[in-house]
Amino acid sequence: MNFSIMFDKDKCKCCTNCIKRCPTQAIRLVDGKAFINNDKCIHCGECIKVCPYNAYTPEPIEWYEEMHFSSYKHKIAISSTPLYGQFPKGTDICKVQNSILKLGFDSVYDASWAAEMVGMAIKRKINEEKIRPFISTNCPAVVRLIKNRYPSLMDHLILIKEPMVIAAMLAREKAKKKLDLKDDEIGVFYLSPCPAKLLAVTDPVGDYKPYVDWVIPLNTIYGELYRELVKGDNGLCSHPSLNGTKWAVSGGQSESAGLTNYIAVNGMENIIQILDEVENGNLTNVDYVETLACVQGCVGGTFNVINPFIAQSNINYILGNTKDESIIEELDEFDEMYESGVFKFSLKPEENQGKFNMKEAIIKREKIKEIYDKLPGLDCGSCGAPTCYAHAEDIYNNESTLYNCVVLRANKITEEGR
Amino acid sequence: MTESFLKRYSFDIVANDFIAAGKGSSTIKNLLKSMGIEANLIRKIAITSYEAEINIVIHSYGGQLHCDLYEDKIVIVSQDTGPGIKDVELALTEGYSTATESVRELGFGAGMGLPNMMKYSDDFEITSSSDGTVIKITILL
Ligand code: SF4
Ligand code: SF4
Ligand code: SF4
Repeated sequence: MNFSIMFDKDKCKCCTNCIKRCPTQAIRLVDGKAFINNDKCIHCGECIKVCPYNAYTPEPIEWYEEMHFSSYKHKIAISSTPLYGQFPKGTDICKVQNSILKLGFDSVYDASWAAEMVGMAIKRKINEEKIRPFISTNCPAVVRLIKNRYPSLMDHLILIKEPMVIAAMLAREKAKKKLDLKDDEIGVFYLSPCPAKLLAVTDPVGDYKPYVDWVIPLNTIYGELYRELVKGDNGLCSHPSLNGTKWAVSGGQSESAGLTNYIAVNGMENIIQILDEVENGNLTNVDYVETLACVQGCVGGTFNVINPFIAQSNINYILGNTKDESIIEELDEFDEMYESGVFKFSLKPEENQGKFNMKEAIIKREKIKEIYDKLPGLDCGSCGAPTCYAHAEDIYNNESTLYNCVVLRANKITEEGR
Repeated sequence: MTESFLKRYSFDIVANDFIAAGKGSSTIKNLLKSMGIEANLIRKIAITSYEAEINIVIHSYGGQLHCDLYEDKIVIVSQDTGPGIKDVELALTEGYSTATESVRELGFGAGMGLPNMMKYSDDFEITSSSDGTVIKITILL
């Protein structure tokens, strides 16, 4: 497993904000510092967002060195769909592209082009197959959440590759053909709104090649981009697809695909509620459940700079005030591409977990319950676990002890004092 | 109960309480998930126990939802008091519903309750009288 979230122990004050917001209960506070269990972490970025002391930061990746000192003959930047929302309202999108080039890239491939085609693939698959509802797979954090907490819903996942992957594949092919280059002479860099995409590249959930070499957290290059933008040189522009750009905001994906019977949910807590409904068999009359881990969708990604609601308004402004001049070269080949299966993927097989034994499972559960009944039930997090039940599980697994519960400890001291 | 019976978890379900509706089945689901029950069984249990719970809330004067664990199966038992189902055969037909308009507007009572429970269970038993209804949904491990 590759990490994309770094933790600065000196900044952590053990405030318990992160352990409570982590949707998979992956964080514990041990000896006064937060600790992430990487097997459970789905890279949603929630901990980065909620930490008041900025103890979590995106991993500083060596993309800078790669970009400037590597042997790539052609360096491609893939711009993510929320990117255009990160600049003041009315900013010329061609200028944004030019600023990206100025950072040292040879070409920019706009993810919105791929997004438009991925939208078509989604619609096609929904029309072809009976599963209802289909659940979106472009947010890697949600796919991992489902794998981790809702494995019974895995066969509802639409399993269509995300625009990042399709964009990288197409950009690579184009460069190979046009410039007569080999695969390893091309470097593909994705300007990412979130840590989830980083993990999707280093350890994809599916059996596909990500085609991306480096993921650049948007916030780490934002300053440079902004400074170039202010200089305001014009240059060539390859216009984004407005339809594809809709993907930046929750609901835009379904809209761009031309769906009418869909539900768009954003934010982890909302997603968990909707997944519960699907699991209970309640949404079989809906075609597509679009799920994005971040508030308002990818405009709310952790590596973005601008407030999600402002970014959304900026994107809407672009959608409403720009003429669509995009030319998606590969659009004519869509049918062929779809038939060949490039849009689809399957999940990596799970390791076998061994035979389930009800008797043992009940004994274990009763033991945990026994420990749990001794705890005060405040779910305050002071022991370092997000809930009393999680603490009971940790004690059962020998990862914590009963008197790590500060409430119990305080009671004990009071009693001893009497 | 047969010899292989191991443990019962029970939940009280209050009639007409649409705010709590779904909590009992959701607790069962999460309990079984945390115990490590296989995903496709979780799905069956989620759907059947949810339908059973909603039925109690909508149609009865209240009751209980039990989750009985055996070595080789899980049995969801839904037990309620009155008024019972007049025509069980008819209620087992897809699309048949006695839910009132106001309940349907909430999104419940589309008439999929019993047929769905039957569809997702390995064995299905129902007895109903004016005193109440007992439904047993068996899901084999
Ligand atoms: S990124 Fe998300 S899943 Fe991972 S530790 Fe942070 S909050 Fe938990
Ligand atoms: S919603 Fe978008 S930005 Fe947020 S984690 Fe998912 S893919 Fe990344
Ligand atoms: S009450 Fe005790 S066990 Fe429960 S969360 Fe607080 S410290 Fe942990």
